[in-house]
Amino acid sequence: MPAGGATGTGTQSLSAVIDAVGALTAPASASLSPNSTAFQPFTGSVSLSYQARTTPAGGGSIGLSMSSDFAPAGGPSISTGALTYTCSGASLGSACSGMQTVSTTAQTPVLTLPASACTGGGGACSNLNPNSVNLTFTLTDSPAYPTGTYSAKITFVISAT
Amino acid sequence: MRRYATIIAAACLMLALAGMGQAQSTTTLSVAVGPEASLTVTTGTTTLASGSTTFSNPFTGTTSLTYKIRTTKVGGTGTLSLKITADFSGTGGPSVTTPPTSGDALTYTCTVSSPGTACTGTVTASTSSATSVATFGAAANSTSAGNSASTAWSLTDDPVYATGTYTATATYTISAT
Repeated sequence: MPAGGATGTGTQSLSAVIDAVGALTAPASASLSPNSTAFQPFTGSVSLSYQARTTPAGGGSIGLSMSSDFAPAGGPSISTGALTYTCSGASLGSACSGMQTVSTTAQTPVLTLPASACTGGGGACSNLNPNSVNLTFTLTDSPAYPTGTYSAKITFVISAT
Repeated sequence: MRRYATIIAAACLMLALAGMGQAQSTTTLSVAVGPEASLTVTTGTTTLASGSTTFSNPFTGTTSLTYKIRTTKVGGTGTLSLKITADFSGTGGPSVTTPPTSGDALTYTCTVSSPGTACTGTVTASTSSATSVATFGAAANSTSAGNSASTAWSLTDDPVYATGTYTATATYTISAT
């Protein structure tokens, strides 16, 4: 730099676009346990962890859909309405109300997120990070099911606007 | 003109990306379905009656029940049995444990719908051991609503029985492996 050189300043505008975002984690697997009374439904719980941020004019939801029905065939089947669930304990948003029947074709509700919802930090946001919601699954136990182990896959989807 | 069109298109795309966030996760639900069995006696109280006044006919009556069963596909079995868990009450009347006259007995025959196999012939009920009503093989599955079975009772009408009303209890048990 030459002696007596000039210095200069410049400004740079920094802007961040904060979008609506949703993320969730479901356990890879869950078992449905038999009831102590014969032919009463199998039950099992799944806890979902989620993070969400919705816009002041937006909202969001978590839904559940079937990826694959119970296999092998001949046992319980989602197509017969045998698998139902209830939702509870949502730490952000409102858990689904009443008993929901898992559908082979349509997504069913798990949770609804309000506008301006956000995970963690307290204040206007939830205190918890991540947030969680519990689902209790109930599967009909019919004598007509052959003995064996059956598995089905369900997919949870979170969306936020 | 062409440049403006390009810019407008890019701006719209950015707006759409900013408007919505979505993610998903998958869980595998598994259930182990094992052998089970249950039953419901649908006849509240079975009254044994004789249409005879000459001791020529035994007292008879039928107890109906609904059973549900699931046995293991390979090697499974099931049983439906009964036992007299309370002998006829009172004195001077019929008795399963100590019949007043040799040959007096409480017996039954069985009617069982598939997948059960009914007991064979006439069976004498006992207070000391369970007696068979039906057996089930491997891969036996009743309907969701349950299947039917019944026992047709017969009690000797012995003149030595004092008049009166006597009550006994039969307990049915079903099991599956």
